[in-house]
Amino acid sequence: MMSRKPSILIVDDEVNVARTLQLVFEHEGYEAMTAHSCAEALPLLSNSHVFDIVMTDLNMEKEEIGLEVARKAMDLRPRPVVVICTGFASMFNSQAALKMHVDYLATKPADLKELTAALNRLVMLRAESSQEDA
Amino acid sequence: MLKMAATTGTQPKIALVVHPDVGVLSAFQSALTQKGFVTIVARDVPTTLLAMTQHYFDLAVVSSHLSEPGDGWPVAGVLHLAFPRCFIGVLAPETSVLILQAAINNGVREIYQQHTAPPEVVSAILAELLPSSPQDSHKVQ
Repeated sequence: MMSRKPSILIVDDEVNVARTLQLVFEHEGYEAMTAHSCAEALPLLSNSHVFDIVMTDLNMEKEEIGLEVARKAMDLRPRPVVVICTGFASMFNSQAALKMHVDYLATKPADLKELTAALNRLVMLRAESSQEDA
Repeated sequence: MLKMAATTGTQPKIALVVHPDVGVLSAFQSALTQKGFVTIVARDVPTTLLAMTQHYFDLAVVSSHLSEPGDGWPVAGVLHLAFPRCFIGVLAPETSVLILQAAINNGVREIYQQHTAPPEVVSAILAELLPSSPQDSHKVQ
């Protein structure tokens, strides 16, 4: 069991989408932060913030640049649950996500119940496996 | 469920193959055994669940179509939950965005075309596993 609130970074260039997801995850008990571009997200991932989940859109200031956010998040230790949430899933970006071993790929419009249930499950599993590794 | 082969060595890796076709199971068993795996095979979901209670799997190859199209995906998902470090490959009829999404969301590491020859699939899996594999017997020859 986690003693603190789980945290999520939501990266989406559509402010309304990011804000809505922030409210949804706050309602689920998360501490939710938003960033609206890859450029805004990368420094958050580089400094001392520890996120349990990093969820990113793909097409922001450039097409597919969300893969950079995902890649950076995958390199973090402890590694957060990495989620791509996109309205433009393609063979290219889905293959890239599979190769990168991201944890979840959601397509917009996302079913919020399904998304929150999946992410809650992934966070619990990650927490359990971290405890086992410790 | 049939336990089809065992390797010499102290800690043989254990593979699970789930496929409705006995011919395919036999071909995978042969290919995996040649590479040093103990291979457990199952033709359906109940047998797969039974196998999961009896072994710890390092590798699994699952057909996306067991008794009906797509029912192999949740089997792969459950295998990933039970054995988080297990390499899971799924044999699928095609590669599409939906299939890639199913793979990612079920913890599948790689998709293989369902008609690919089993030795080719095994070689491809071992090539993926090699960087993290401590066992020389698993090298692709």
